[in-house]
Amino acid sequence: MPVAAVIKVLVVDDQNSVRQMTRITLEQIGVRHIHEAENGKQAMNTASLQPLDLIISDYNMPEMDGLTLLRAVRGHPAARKVPFILLTGRGDRELVTQAAQAGANNYLIKPFTADILRQKIEQVMGKLT
Amino acid sequence: MSSLDQLKQTFFDECSEALQQIELGLPDIRDGSGSEDTINAVFRGVHSVKGGAGIFGFEDLVRFAHVLETVLDEMRSGRLAATEEIVDTLLQANDVLTDLISMSRSGDAIPPDFGSECRAALQQILAANGGGGEDDSPAPADFEGIDFVPVQINFDEPEDNSAASGENEFQIVFRPKPELLKKANEPLYIIRELRKLGTLDLVAELDRLPPLTELEADTPYLGWTGTLRTPAAREQVDEVFEFVVGDCELEITQVGAMPSFDLGPEAPAAAASSWEGMVGSVVPPDVGGDVPTMEFSPSVVPPAGPPAAPSAHAEPVAPAFAETIAVPMTPPPASTTPASMPAPAAPDQAEAAAPAPRPAAAKAPGTGATTTRVELEKIDRVVNMVGELVIAQAMLGQVVHGLPEDVSGRLVQVLEEVTHHTRELKDSVMSMRAQQVNAVFQRMPRLVRELATKTAKKVKLELAGENTEVDRSIIERLGDPLTHIIRNSVDHGIETPADRAAAGKSEEGTIRLSAEHRGGRIVIEIRDDGAGINSERVLQKARERGLVSPDAVLGDDEINNLIFLPGFSTAEKISDISGRGVGMDVVRRNIQDVGGRISLKSERGKGMTIQLALPLTLAVMDGMVIRVGSETYVMPMSAIVECLRPPASDIHALIGTPGMLRLRGNLVPLVQLCDLLDIGSSASGADERVIIITDAGEGARFGIVVDELCGHQQVVVKSIEESYGSVPGIAGATILGNGRVAFILDVEKLSDIASSQNVQTGVTRFVNGESKVAMAVN
Repeated sequence: MPVAAVIKVLVVDDQNSVRQMTRITLEQIGVRHIHEAENGKQAMNTASLQPLDLIISDYNMPEMDGLTLLRAVRGHPAARKVPFILLTGRGDRELVTQAAQAGANNYLIKPFTADILRQKIEQVMGKLT
Repeated sequence: MSSLDQLKQTFFDECSEALQQIELGLPDIRDGSGSEDTINAVFRGVHSVKGGAGIFGFEDLVRFAHVLETVLDEMRSGRLAATEEIVDTLLQANDVLTDLISMSRSGDAIPPDFGSECRAALQQILAANGGGGEDDSPAPADFEGIDFVPVQINFDEPEDNSAASGENEFQIVFRPKPELLKKANEPLYIIRELRKLGTLDLVAELDRLPPLTELEADTPYLGWTGTLRTPAAREQVDEVFEFVVGDCELEITQVGAMPSFDLGPEAPAAAASSWEGMVGSVVPPDVGGDVPTMEFSPSVVPPAGPPAAPSAHAEPVAPAFAETIAVPMTPPPASTTPASMPAPAAPDQAEAAAPAPRPAAAKAPGTGATTTRVELEKIDRVVNMVGELVIAQAMLGQVVHGLPEDVSGRLVQVLEEVTHHTRELKDSVMSMRAQQVNAVFQRMPRLVRELATKTAKKVKLELAGENTEVDRSIIERLGDPLTHIIRNSVDHGIETPADRAAAGKSEEGTIRLSAEHRGGRIVIEIRDDGAGINSERVLQKARERGLVSPDAVLGDDEINNLIFLPGFSTAEKISDISGRGVGMDVVRRNIQDVGGRISLKSERGKGMTIQLALPLTLAVMDGMVIRVGSETYVMPMSAIVECLRPPASDIHALIGTPGMLRLRGNLVPLVQLCDLLDIGSSASGADERVIIITDAGEGARFGIVVDELCGHQQVVVKSIEESYGSVPGIAGATILGNGRVAFILDVEKLSDIASSQNVQTGVTRFVNGESKVAMAVN
């Protein structure tokens, strides 16, 4: 069972306010090690150099969208097995299906509460302690 | 401000940027010059606004943004054509969005029906296009029936991930003792050295930290424990602590064996094969452990089958996989410190304990330059400090120049260096405060749109030089005057389409708003191709209001400048657009208050041009230090036309006034500064007095008589408003090199004071440099 205070999470979103809110929500459920990236390139940089236990990424970003990032992550030797949750603001069933096929482990619709976040993370990683 | 409030502010800043993207993109889409990127950028703008609004609970904003977003989504996926009408509706929607954001930001109550008309129009567009789902509410919380990849994560195992491809793992416990600090060693440097060896994961122990009042600066209270993953050998790790080994509690334990090529279970084959297809590069075989590895070595042995790992979901690797080895990416050299590594662990922990406000990082839209957001307060503080530095350095200069030659020689050289650097520092810092005039210009298109609609006229606004930079202090003062001038232009300048057609002009009027740097100032021009000023009517009104004597003869330019007089308005009906009372006189006052000039040119039937000339900054200026009696003042160089010391014979006395100076055929009225400021003059004879010719606007000149010119210098302007309020004639204060405070004179106001004092003697002001003296001088 993953210990919330120990797991390392990367939050990817071009909007700083959303990144911060996600950070705050993660902290609410006990996560302490939170990396941030504001675009796909930074995210890949972090993912290839840092050991990560979870990536939470927005879909709608300029230059590299979340789906493309997912595919890049899944193709990278260091990061390919890192659980990936895709954030989307539009409940787009097609997008979510595509994400699942590309190797996403779960999805989240913005805005989300701490409870929903926890739920989705636990669906992927097991109960958080 | 609570951190949530700070986040909200960040969100609203993001909204401003998003709105700009939309504002810029929609016109391009409308006239067909937009690309796929354009519509995507516009969509993303609205999407970002909606996303953030949802998070912060601005429901009205979410609802409206959602419909707008849906229309844009249809457009960008090609299912909806971007016709002119539709884009016009989108432009209106952007205006509604802007207002909603504004109201959410200020906390004003949003009227329940706000934007409903526009929203209905948007929904109609969707309906007409094939009923884009009557989906007023945003997304459902969950989708059924989508299979996600189950993940193999096993957190019960020790983090073994480094035990592969030549990495060692060391558990480190490091607790400095007082001796360590006494010997001038610094734990931070040691931690940094450790970091250079590989990946360092430290947790600080804070339990020994006493309360602040008991804290002793030279005693270490912190300890650190954690892991270091490095290809380096034990000896290298020991080396880092070489000099401090006796002065701290130190434990270094190597964890895990050397690289093992046992391979863990592959993730479910189904997912794996789909990854292959997606990425287009071959995925290398798993290299050990269930948790992702840091490094990857090409010499990995192909999978040997499932090891004794406890995972219950183990599945054998698909054989097709086994043969493949590839190097899709260059593994990062282990010894480099990853650039994206967060700040060293210790400060990180400290941050967790005491969260500090973090400056947000953002990319400026469309400029390609990397920018960062810093609170204005911080910049202003730096500007202040640099100002103090400039003053201190000036004082230093004075002291040095007062020293005997043999002492001061080397000092002067060094001082030159310091002066040079200070000047560069000042320039850099001032440029931080510089903002593009676009900050003000960008509000204008919407203003013109709304005014044109209200007055049923067709008006186009052209912008030029919107990237011209100017200090924020000026930007803030530009908004109101510009708004008023443009309002006037649309309301009174540009004719109705019918009138324009009758006059042989195009039905659409054009207003051109431009900014450029010229001669050390920023010049902003507002040019319209309307009807120009109706001189007869202006003169008539002026006569009616007694602003001008009935038989005065005025040239065209003089007549045009009459609109700057207070209380002037030629509007037959006071439209609610330009209103009453906020006349051009207030505009001029606003401009003059910041040390600027306003002038206008008009051609009947062709149009009108208004020019604003403003200083580049209010914070620092070139000043002339002058002395009157025993008092020192500073006059802005920008106000000085020339200085001279004329012979007494050139000064013509007029009863009751300080006299007139004959200057190249013109007569310039004089003002004694000592009288104006009510201070005793020094005893210098009339021949020694210096006269400073200043320009009070519209060519009206007068000469200020002072005792002495003491030199010119760059002067840091300090406001006295807080302590003294607004003092007529004084624009601010500064500290001179000799450490004394000097007031900065407000030359325009002084001229007003002088004229009002002279009113009884009937000396009128100059207009256009020609003398018009009511009282004859013989």
